[in-house]
Amino acid sequence: MMDESKVGLTSKQKAGNFIGSFGLIIILLVIFGLFSFLIPGVYFTWVNLRDMIRFSSFVGIGAIGMTFCIMTGNFDISVGSMLALAGVLGASLAPRISGVGGVIVTIIVALFLGFINGVFVTKLKIPAFITTLGMLFVFRAIAYIYTNNTPQYIQDRFWISIGNKTFLGLPIPIYIMAVCYGIAYLLLKKSPVGRYIIAVGTNSRAATLSGINVDNIKILVFTLIGLFVGIAAVINASMLGAANPGMMGDGWEFQVITAVVLGGTALSGGSGSLGGSLLAALIIIFLKTGMSNAQVNSYWQQVATGLVLIFAVSLNKLKFWLIGQTQ
Amino acid sequence: MVKFLKLYEKIGIFILIVAASIFLTIVSPNFRNMDTILGIIMQGSYGAIIAVGMTLALTSGGFDLSVEAVMGLTSVILAMLIPQMGFTLSIIIAILASCFVGMINGVLITKVGISPLIMTLAMQVILRGTSLLITGGRQVVIAQKSFMTIGASKVFNIIPTPIIYMVVIFIVFYLLLNQTTFGRHIAAVGSNEQAARMSGLNVTIIKTLVYVLVAFTASIVGVIRTSQTLIGIPTMAPGFTLNVLTIAILGGTSLAGGKGNLIGTFFAGIFISMIYYGLNLLNVQIFYQFLSVGLVLLFALFVNGLRIRYLESAKVKGIRI
Repeated sequence: MMDESKVGLTSKQKAGNFIGSFGLIIILLVIFGLFSFLIPGVYFTWVNLRDMIRFSSFVGIGAIGMTFCIMTGNFDISVGSMLALAGVLGASLAPRISGVGGVIVTIIVALFLGFINGVFVTKLKIPAFITTLGMLFVFRAIAYIYTNNTPQYIQDRFWISIGNKTFLGLPIPIYIMAVCYGIAYLLLKKSPVGRYIIAVGTNSRAATLSGINVDNIKILVFTLIGLFVGIAAVINASMLGAANPGMMGDGWEFQVITAVVLGGTALSGGSGSLGGSLLAALIIIFLKTGMSNAQVNSYWQQVATGLVLIFAVSLNKLKFWLIGQTQ
Repeated sequence: MVKFLKLYEKIGIFILIVAASIFLTIVSPNFRNMDTILGIIMQGSYGAIIAVGMTLALTSGGFDLSVEAVMGLTSVILAMLIPQMGFTLSIIIAILASCFVGMINGVLITKVGISPLIMTLAMQVILRGTSLLITGGRQVVIAQKSFMTIGASKVFNIIPTPIIYMVVIFIVFYLLLNQTTFGRHIAAVGSNEQAARMSGLNVTIIKTLVYVLVAFTASIVGVIRTSQTLIGIPTMAPGFTLNVLTIAILGGTSLAGGKGNLIGTFFAGIFISMIYYGLNLLNVQIFYQFLSVGLVLLFALFVNGLRIRYLESAKVKGIRI
């Protein structure tokens, strides 16, 4: 009797670990397999696969900075507005200072906006959620006022090619995303900064006592969000051929946060997974594209997206429950 | 100083309102008119009603992003049912359906342990989709003009009905939060869930009820808005959730849970409406409304942060608080 229950518990734990390691990959494969089966010849093609990964770079790159931020136990919901403000500033200046200049301006502006968020959170001691909620309104309003609510079209060849051209058969955004994730991985795993981020997220007080400058780490994390939002803004504006002050990045903050949480990063901070965020970004786009290709009514698409999200997050909870049984 | 700061915690938002009133009285002759003032309060009532529910959710340590979609769902159910069932029954069904949505939120958050952020966000997307499916993506006109009396008439020919609803809901929720055991339990769960569980509170039921109440307030506003426009709108009030959160936070309710300030919420709703009115007077574009709301939020929380730090340092110095 004892042995049986012991074996049962171990298999439970095994199941939990299995879900933890492969849950997201399995969901991704199931979605991909399902739509490949439902709409043969359209979904399971190299071109489609390539395009889906290209589109996922927009959410995927944004999710990098957010993963760091949520790992420190903070939160940034201003990223959608930040994307729009940086995008319209860069795009409006591009005709005067060339496409390269516009791209650089976009990234630097986003970087700076992220830095401001960080300073507000740490030096003025306003909770991150409220600071960025306020900034969500402020950034968007400045984008509107600056452009007088007119879209800024991008004519420049260089900028347009970033989102739309291919290199060695792969779209350029995929390379950009790969490089971003590579750098972020090194930063998190191979540099002291990564350890500091986890320390701050696990126990901010203990981190302070062990000599880590918590404020600087937080400012750095918010600035990193700005950096990746800036890169995402360049790609997004390039794909659409314009930066629109109202529509650009509207609701994007929730897609990004969803990807990060779906990827297994705990909202309470201290632990997180960059690979999980990437997989989650792919899941969101694979599902969306699959439903559009299968000509699912767009309203059903919304319902299904919400249900899949709840299901995937519940799976994550199931993992903890299964592992927790044996502890 | 300490006394003043303690007082400020309670009535800080009230000081802002007085300042805004003085400013508006100087710049706008119309503001001295009773109708204008009641109009401003009415515009503020929509956000304030839901923010009252949101304050409960924040007090319990959670929050609800699905409120705007609940409004849309209510609106759609009303538009579909009123031709067949009449007003009373339709309203009851719409509100019950919303409460049911709140219950699902609560059960999944407490039983499965999904974070409120993700759960209510997913619920928002699901409800928007469902509402659009029900009407086939269209807006549905309600033919029965008399339905307008609910949200667009005036009591004694003076006071718009939404203000009455706001006051009634505020009083009920105020008593609920501050005078009942249930209210104390909400605060207990919000300040330390583990401790609340240990001391025998049924955290699941308390939290689930909170989400039902949030959905209830959202549904009430859905009824009012639908009655005013006589149209069932599946995509009603996009982005309204953030306004509601802003009102609750501006009113002094902490995101950390355990501390809800309903009086603050009530006045913050009116204050935001005053800002909008003032900006309309200046004839500026709608973007400036976003800007001012964002700046006011940051400023108010900055002042609040200063206050807390002053009180903490006073405590260290041994001044009695």
